[in-house]
Order: sequence, then structure tokens, then C-alpha cells
Amino acid sequence: MYDAVSIEDRQKPVVMLANFGFANDAESASRGKGMPGIRVVATKVPCESTVIEDIEAGIEEAWNDIVNALTKPITAEEQNPKANQPETPARIIFKGTLAEVNQFYYRRGWTDGLPIIPPTEAAVAEMLKGTDLPPDQLLGKLQSRLGKATIEKIAINAVMAGALPTYLPVIIAGTINLLESEQGFNGYTTYGFSTGSWAPFWVINGPIRNQINVNSGSGAFSPGNIANATIGRAMGLIVKNIGGVRKGVEDMGVMGNPMKYTMVIAENEEESPWEPLHTEFSYKKEDSTISVSFPQSYLQHYPPGSDAASILNSIVDNIPRSMRYTVIVNAATAKNLAREGYTKEKIKQYVAENKLVPAAQLLGQIGAQVKPGDKKPSLEEAAKMVPLIRDPRFVRVIVGGGPGAFCVNLIGGGATPGKKEIQKIELPKDWDNLVKKYKNLVPVYAKY
Amino acid sequence: MSANTENFYEVLSPWAEADPVAYRGISPRVGDPNGKAIGLLCNSKRVAPPTLKAVESRLKKQYPKASISWFYNTVPNETMDQQPRKGEFEEWLKGVDVIIAAYGD
Repeated sequence: MYDAVSIEDRQKPVVMLANFGFANDAESASRGKGMPGIRVVATKVPCESTVIEDIEAGIEEAWNDIVNALTKPITAEEQNPKANQPETPARIIFKGTLAEVNQFYYRRGWTDGLPIIPPTEAAVAEMLKGTDLPPDQLLGKLQSRLGKATIEKIAINAVMAGALPTYLPVIIAGTINLLESEQGFNGYTTYGFSTGSWAPFWVINGPIRNQINVNSGSGAFSPGNIANATIGRAMGLIVKNIGGVRKGVEDMGVMGNPMKYTMVIAENEEESPWEPLHTEFSYKKEDSTISVSFPQSYLQHYPPGSDAASILNSIVDNIPRSMRYTVIVNAATAKNLAREGYTKEKIKQYVAENKLVPAAQLLGQIGAQVKPGDKKPSLEEAAKMVPLIRDPRFVRVIVGGGPGAFCVNLIGGGATPGKKEIQKIELPKDWDNLVKKYKNLVPVYAKY
Repeated sequence: MSANTENFYEVLSPWAEADPVAYRGISPRVGDPNGKAIGLLCNSKRVAPPTLKAVESRLKKQYPKASISWFYNTVPNETMDQQPRKGEFEEWLKGVDVIIAAYGD
């Protein structure tokens, strides 16, 4: 759609063909790009289909619409679309009971389906203690609707998520990370919109991990820790309410992804034998940072032995085809690898060199895209084993999780190496007092 | 009868303001495609090439005097403006009168 708008801007008429299920998405994209009149023909050609009969039937059924879109003179509205009106949303949006507030927000599409904490003036004021930045400070405009990411809007969404004020610096940094990411990740656009249901995965490094109790140990990805639960949730609400990403309109994930509720971990720096993730990006160990990638799948695996060969082969065996890979090893496993001389860099190298697949797997990915007439590979060429991962930088290694043998491979997408994926977390002047106030808010289980 | 002790909350809007997007119109159509140069812009979706092939076959039948050329944007999730082949794309665009693009999704 973006190419279509760009071509129309060069005064060339375009007709865009799209599956009927993507009509709303196409309309949103064309409006967002300032050209609501783009002629989109919704067809029944099935998404991603390789069945020629279905494709031809879809085009046959849509043919008159395609010809009309190609030839019918444009209307006055298409030539000069009416300007949309500036929004003037009320700051205080509703008054009601807890249930009424929740129903009001839910009906507006402002929640993730779980109950929210009412963002009252008092709650937002308390949240804002997590930053020295003024509430009206604009950090940027978040894709897709270019909503203004002000500190106050970030704080409101953080309150709704149930976050504590000590998490606000992390959530602000996470928002900056999204704002400054390359196209495709800015505001989580491509990966938020894709049919692939990619979920943002946030890794927190540095001293803040312990100050705000982000779990890096047992069950780090399970429910039960406010920081892990609400930082990711707040980021999801920010994408929704500031970026304007709507499920089934912009977010066209086919299956969806439970990791979109929250996917946050701290690296277990204390027990790791290696340098923490953020130092790979030239940050100091004493800095606190948040990084983001966009996995699609969460795959746990159980190395058959504690030696490096068993661990590494388990990692390699459990990597399906994708674009970026995060390997999360527990501390004991990390120490076993380190004992045999493996650094994070050596692990990345090993995985990239040893994850081999038949060339047919990779050719299959581009097979449908080759130009008509291009030479098809021979069976011999297709059977040749080739590396799946062409660059070790597409692999990240972090240490997390509790005692035990299980490890995790996160499979999905992420920034182009060298492009934005990590942001330093800035703390307010009164940080120590704020930490004191909230630091002891931890679950104390009954003994039985 | 118990007293109603339920709290009322006056709440702030999480929905961000956005500046209105300035809208632009689309280009006039070119009329009868016969005699025109029609460009088929094929994106990275695997359904795109066969879809445009089906379009091409019908165009050839219905508008035998139209010329047809293809351009492949095979890089997923990137517009042609972002790619090293931008120059090649611009050249192709100069040579066509109207474009049919596929496929979303």
C-alpha cells in the first residue's frame, strides 16, 4: 500500500489488489499516508495462496472492479478529499464506578481485555514521580496513527496496566525505543501489523533490574511479578492507545500471540559468566537499558547433557526458520558452556555455522517470488545443506530462568544489526526515595 | 438496606492526540488502456506473481494494444523508496502510464 501511495504521489494512477479481509487495513494505511482515495480492489484471491485455480477465480470475480478502478474517471472527492478534522479529546474522559470505567474503556478498544486500573489524576500524578520530564513533553509521534507520545499519555497507560511509578523510566525508554526504531519497527508497525503475530520482547539490563524487582530467575516468563507483568502490558497499551494499532485493522496477526500481553525478562547478570547484553551495545555495566525484539514463537528445549556439545546441539536442533533468534540459557547451563570456553560470541558463531538446512527450505521461501522464466534449482541443488543463519549477529544470547536444565529459543524478528534496538533508561533525581517506597512490594507466600 | 459505598473514579483518556493528516487526491485515470503502458508491480507475497499473471492474461485479451511490463519488489516489508533498487524502480515508473499492484496480503 505504501508503494501505491508513493506512486500516486508521482502522478501515476495505481490500482491495488488486496484480499477482502484486508480492506480495513488497506483503508487505514491509505488514510494514514494521507491518500484516502487510493483505489483498492478487494478480491477473493486467498492470502498467500499457491492454488492457481483459486487465484484465477478470484481475479475473474473481481475483474469488472479492476477494470473500473483502472478506467473510471476519478470523482471530485477522490481528487480533493475532505480534510479530516483535528481531534480535541477531553482530558477527563469519564466518571464512574470501577466496573463502569472498565466497561467504558473496553468499549472504546483501549484495553487488552483484562481489567485496568482507573487512571485518575491522583494515580497519574503518583506515576509521574517516575520521571523528571514534564507531563506535556512530546517524545515523538508513534506509528501508525502518529499519536503524540507525551509523558502524560505514557503515564496514563502505565497506570492502566497496573505499573508502579518505579517502572515509568523503563516504559518511557521502551517508548523511545519504538519511536527511534528503523522503519518497520517504529511504533511496532510492520511487526505489529503483520499476519505473523510477532510480539515485542523486552530485556532489561543494569542495576534497575533489582531496584524494581524484575524477575530474571525461576519462572521469569510466568505470571506473578508486577514488573514483568505490567511493563510489557503498559507497552502493549501504548502501542494500542498512542500508536493506534487496532486488532483486525492494523494488527492483522492471523493467530495472534499470548506473548503480546507481556514478554519481559531481566538478564540474570549476577549469575551469568558473561558480559550482559547491554555491554554488547557499548553501554556500561552500570547503565540500565531496555532492548526490544519481535519473536513469534517461544520454544523450550531440554539439552540431553550438561556438556557444551549437548547444550549447543540442543539449541541448534530447536531453531526453525525465521529472521532473528534469541537464545536464553539458565545460569547453570551458561556456566557449563563458559567452562568449556564458550563466550556469547562463540555461541552465536556456533549456532550460525551449525544450523544447516536443505537449500530447498530457503529456496521454498523465495520460490514463489522468482520471476517467470527464472531457472528452478535442480534436485541436487535443493538437497544441499546450507546455513540457515547467514549472520551471527542475527542471534542473541542472554542468561535467565531458574535452576534446572530447560532453555528457551525465541524465534522471530528484530532490528537490522546496527539499527536501534536498545535504549538507556534515565532516572529521576528522587529515584532512591521512590525505590525505597516501592521496593518492598513483593509477594510473600504463605508457608504450608 | 446497605449504603452505597462504591467509589467513583474520574479518569483520564489514554488515547493520544494526533495531528490531522493532510489528504492528497489520487491521479486521473488514463482512459482506455489500449495503447497505454501498464505496469504490474509485484510485491514479496507469494500470491502476488500468480495473481498478476492472471491479471496480465486478462489484460492481454481485453486490451491487445496495451503494453505490459513487470517490476518485482521482492524485499518483504520494505517500500521501493527504501531499497538500493530505487533507481531501477524510478526508471520503470517513467515508462508506464498506469500500475496494478499486488498483493495485500
